[in-house]
Amino acid sequence: MTDFDALTPVIHVWDGVLAVPIVGTLDSARSQVVMEKLLVGLVKSGCTVAILDISGVPTVDTEVALNLLKTVDAARLMGAECIISGIRPEIAQTMVNLGIDLKEVKTRASMARALEEALTTLGLKVVPTSEVTPT
Amino acid sequence: MNFQRIPVLQLGPYLLVTIQGTLDDRTALTLQEDLTKKVEKTGARGVLIDISGLDLVDSFVGRMLYTVTAVMKIMDTETVVVGMQPAVAMTLVELGLTLKGALTAMNVDKGMELLRRRLRDGTPDFTAR
Amino acid sequence: MSESAADCASKPIFQETLIGNEADLVAVRYEVRKAAKEVGLGLVDETKLVTAVSELSRNCLVYGGGGVAQMEIVHTHDRVGVRVTLVDQGPGIADLKRAMENGYSTGKGLGLGLPGSRRLAHEFEIDSIVGLGTRVSIIRWKT
Repeated sequence: MTDFDALTPVIHVWDGVLAVPIVGTLDSARSQVVMEKLLVGLVKSGCTVAILDISGVPTVDTEVALNLLKTVDAARLMGAECIISGIRPEIAQTMVNLGIDLKEVKTRASMARALEEALTTLGLKVVPTSEVTPT
Repeated sequence: MNFQRIPVLQLGPYLLVTIQGTLDDRTALTLQEDLTKKVEKTGARGVLIDISGLDLVDSFVGRMLYTVTAVMKIMDTETVVVGMQPAVAMTLVELGLTLKGALTAMNVDKGMELLRRRLRDGTPDFTAR
Repeated sequence: MSESAADCASKPIFQETLIGNEADLVAVRYEVRKAAKEVGLGLVDETKLVTAVSELSRNCLVYGGGGVAQMEIVHTHDRVGVRVTLVDQGPGIADLKRAMENGYSTGKGLGLGLPGSRRLAHEFEIDSIVGLGTRVSIIRWKT
């Protein structure tokens, strides 16, 4: 029995932002571990945005999509918003073919774009140091 | 069973309700009445419902939260449900309860921050859908 | 206790709680938590189990006219869990199939009772005969 716990890092990438790279299949058993780690991580860190990166998830079928949506809903119930990143072109195709509607969930192609979106949500933006007036 | 009246406290421009232990029909109804009366009396535009002490939220409690949110909405008051425990959140998504229409926050502080942002400039915030 | 057809041996730790009013629902939840802790169910498993029982025992009281909640610790060769059975002698459920579908409710509920409870349990069994009553049994295994 794989130790899912160790394979599910929850990373505090910025003030208010958690990143959860999901690697491997996201079946129902695994998604419970991901959900629990994410939610506990949100409480511990006080973050209000979480990035769920699925670039390491090989296939996304209806079950996986449902598990993702459940995770997003659970985080929402606790006052946090999720952004799903790392959606590969094949995955996007599969989801459309299967009629999977991610509804109002924010999605971004890469973790980098997702982080940018997370910062925007928090009212922050990254600018070159040259643009910052010294105090 | 002893009847417990849940106190409605004033927290600046908002009202705060802390729900603990078990709820029954009578307590839930009384809370609704107390809230509406206090909103009318104080003109509060936001209500915070702290459920951080609840280790169980079933469809009965869910219904109560939904009803309070709806009643508050009619009185032009926003409701924020704060402090849901992780195990409860995981159970609710399985149960299919979404607390539609209510805003959510991690704790009372974040809840007040949310109300301030929302009531000041009407900026859309993510809500529990 | 004798073994049932499901190859499931129940330890003689058996708790029966009468459901006659709201206060009894609290007692039932308390007993379930006790059993869950005894088996070593994690917090999430315990919460799911107690929530399902909360739904079902409320049904028992509100629609079934009251009844009884039976709790036991169950074992198979490789796992352990808690089984909770709710029995009432109420009107019974006429259309069981529909009742198990999402969104069905005759009372002023959200229609989430049975399907929701089923999702929260690992095993779910329901028997209902109109005019005789209803029996729901759920098991949550230790994961």
